Amino acid sequence: MDQEEPRNGDSTHNHHGLLHVSKKPKLALPISEPEIRDEFSHHQTGVARINNGSFGSCPKSVLAAQRKWQLKFLEQPDDFYFNTLRNGILKSRTVIKGLINADDVDEISLVDNATTAAAIVLQQIGRGFAERKFNQNDTVVMLHCAFQAVKKSIQAYVTRAGGSVVEVQLPFPLASEEEIIREFKEGLAKGKENGKRIRLAIIDHITSMPCVVIPVRKLVKICREEGVDQVFVDAAHAIGSVKIDVKEIGADFYVSNLHKWFFCPPAVAFLYCRNSKFSPDMHHPVVSHEFGKGLPVESAWIGTRDYSSQLVVPSVLEFVNRFEGGIEGIMKRNHEQVLKMGRMLAESWGTNLGSPSEMCAGMVMVGLPSRLKIMSEEDALKLRGHLRVYFGVEVPIHYLAPKEDDEGGARDKDGIISGYARISHQVYNTSEDYEKFRIAVLHLVEEKKICKLLSTE
Amino acid sequence: MNGTDTKSTTHLPKKPKLSQTLISDSEIQSEFSHHDPTIARINNGSFGSCPQSIISAQQRWQLKFLRQPDHFYFNELQKGILESRLVIKSLVNADHVDEISIVDNATTAAAIVLQSVSWAFSQGKFKEGDGAVMLHYAYGAVKKSVEAYVTRAGGYVIEVQLPFPVTSVSEIVGEFRKALERGKSNGRKVRLAVIDHITSMPSVVIPVKELVKICREEGVDQVFVDAAHGIGCVDVDVKEIGADFYTSNLHKWFFCPPSVAFLYCRKSSSNWNDLHHPVVSHEYGNGLAVESAWIGTRDYSAQLVVPQVLEFVNRFEGGLEGIKKRNHDTVVEMGEMLAKAWGTHIGCPPEMCASMVMVGLPACLGIFGDSDTLKLRTHLRDNFAVEVPIYYRAPKDGEVNLVTGYARISHQVYNKPSEYYKFRDAINQLVHDKFTCALLP
Repeated sequence: MDQEEPRNGDSTHNHHGLLHVSKKPKLALPISEPEIRDEFSHHQTGVARINNGSFGSCPKSVLAAQRKWQLKFLEQPDDFYFNTLRNGILKSRTVIKGLINADDVDEISLVDNATTAAAIVLQQIGRGFAERKFNQNDTVVMLHCAFQAVKKSIQAYVTRAGGSVVEVQLPFPLASEEEIIREFKEGLAKGKENGKRIRLAIIDHITSMPCVVIPVRKLVKICREEGVDQVFVDAAHAIGSVKIDVKEIGADFYVSNLHKWFFCPPAVAFLYCRNSKFSPDMHHPVVSHEFGKGLPVESAWIGTRDYSSQLVVPSVLEFVNRFEGGIEGIMKRNHEQVLKMGRMLAESWGTNLGSPSEMCAGMVMVGLPSRLKIMSEEDALKLRGHLRVYFGVEVPIHYLAPKEDDEGGARDKDGIISGYARISHQVYNTSEDYEKFRIAVLHLVEEKKICKLLSTE
Repeated sequence: MNGTDTKSTTHLPKKPKLSQTLISDSEIQSEFSHHDPTIARINNGSFGSCPQSIISAQQRWQLKFLRQPDHFYFNELQKGILESRLVIKSLVNADHVDEISIVDNATTAAAIVLQSVSWAFSQGKFKEGDGAVMLHYAYGAVKKSVEAYVTRAGGYVIEVQLPFPVTSVSEIVGEFRKALERGKSNGRKVRLAVIDHITSMPSVVIPVKELVKICREEGVDQVFVDAAHGIGCVDVDVKEIGADFYTSNLHKWFFCPPSVAFLYCRKSSSNWNDLHHPVVSHEYGNGLAVESAWIGTRDYSAQLVVPQVLEFVNRFEGGLEGIKKRNHDTVVEMGEMLAKAWGTHIGCPPEMCASMVMVGLPACLGIFGDSDTLKLRTHLRDNFAVEVPIYYRAPKDGEVNLVTGYARISHQVYNKPSEYYKFRDAINQLVHDKFTCALLP
């Protein structure tokens, strides 16, 4: 381990010499297909694992690196705590800073997951209400399809403290960015009604269900124009999925999970907090003796725990650089493949894709045949379970409630498309995975199976 | 899933079965063969320890998730966490498994309890100036948590000054009563008492049962026992102790991998429904135990091996009780051996120790502050291969030529007498060489 590095984060002098953050692979041969299969050989065979979006994936070589860190701690934990841990976390933060184009490593904290980051940001907003810095009923604006954990976090920290919430409807299926921008502007207007101030806007970079890539840069710009206090981009899926330039995006807070699309073991995420004159008082909710030393330092010690997943980030960079084009090459190929597969499925089933190609990254929403009669969230869950148990296909299903006016709904030859599958593509996927899914759905339609009657035993 | 549990589905033996052979010494050494063999590791108290067979069990759980995470999430995780909670419920004699939540560590548990106090202040349930009482020796993280959640919300904090060295339980009780009186002066209410079961530095076993009783008599709203060192160290019977909240780490003295702790919340507590994990997931509002069992995608494997750990401890003579007794007897024996060799003393009577004891260091070492203790600790690690935390005990007015430094030695099943002799010899060497902390950079 590098002993010259300062303990805690003053990095302005040494981030140049610290680590060469190469984004392109060296001249050695790129990783081969058999090597990739081997790296993911611990995945259950016989399962078409087309849901990288939910829980991510981690290659064997990174798991091996993680074990080394775990063993180091167990071997002599005191020595690890005093001499190894902080340096390791700083190294990981430095890698991330390079990947997302942040100005300062002090802007990067490592936490467990986006759920934790949301709690940190919202707790701070909640304090604003509780300490009467904000007026009662000042607003927080979010997308109506925001991740459920984030919605609950808003309830727990904002609504409870007296703030009010405005939900922006995400049109779906989507034809263009304009639809989102329009809805968002309306949402902001609502948030400012009657002299209220919008204290926080939460914008997903890539929504979860249904999954679309949101034009965050444009929306952040609109927020600034409309006088929104703080902007938090929930980019749980972003890193390893889309290019991230936090300066360009311009948000106050930006979080992304590294275990979803960036090959880290469960679980690790970074929370970027832009340095500014008015930097709010951010704290990790689990308070340790490091309280008050800044969020990166607080987050780097929240009591005795296994920090190994936070320490393997440099090893992951080595892994992605074995691929042609590094992480950018991976993102590009994932995008191309998932679209290709998505179109193949839509054509075979006579359905549609939920958004245009430029609004997808490594995932795409594929309409399911209306004959399956997906009529509720329950039905969607049932279908998912049935596919898992009877067809060996793992894919999340989204139920799209019919709109009142029924105009926007896509249709197939038999009716309105009320269910979409969110397929993912990651480096370990093959076209067989999607073929398996294609046939499963055709089979269900042929057998006249409807969701209500599906068994999941 | 969480509700009726009066007849638990798991048979929880607390003593080894008759047919099973007891674990042998060489098997114990093998279980801990991943420990650095060159170090006298007499500090189990700080970071705990985990045997090989549990590490393997943990890796099996980790692999299960990685293999097919969706299936694991939908079909295995909740069951596994419930099994662990049932084992703990039994170990601590709780009434309902609903009262047992699993969290990362005592630091997290403290944040949970204190956050609810913070809400009570900010929502006017508690008045500004109402108090929280805690021990002066409360763990650093807990003190900061009290600052972050109580002081910031308008609460007033009273610290109970505890004497150290301490000669009897009554000294502690006396100071505690005084602190409660201060808390109640000027018509204020004491909303929360935070009491360590075993303080960290300096380490003493606190008479929690008696202190909880006093709290009830004096009208303290709620009592939170921070027993980070509890399970596997002292007897834990949450009903008998009678606190509203009780937390203990399982990775310190109960052989779990880092990290896992339980937080017991008595069902009859007035705010039982208002305790929340600070990391809010979609399970928000479903009860603390359910909330804590899903705080986003993470590695929950350390929480899932608790049943396997019970099997492990039951390979020892007398099970967990046997381990506790032998740890206690041996650490007292080693502590007295060291004190005799150095001409010092141990910091409290044996009945106020569990598996750790504070041993006075020779005054000539010149320990004059917290930074000296850290430097000395590092010096012992780097130059003598001894791992032991040192405590600085500031002299009070009028005291001269005192022992100002104490080493907190631990004993766990993997320790051997030679490790304590190594420590004895290291200090003797330092004394012989006329070493003082002032000489360290």
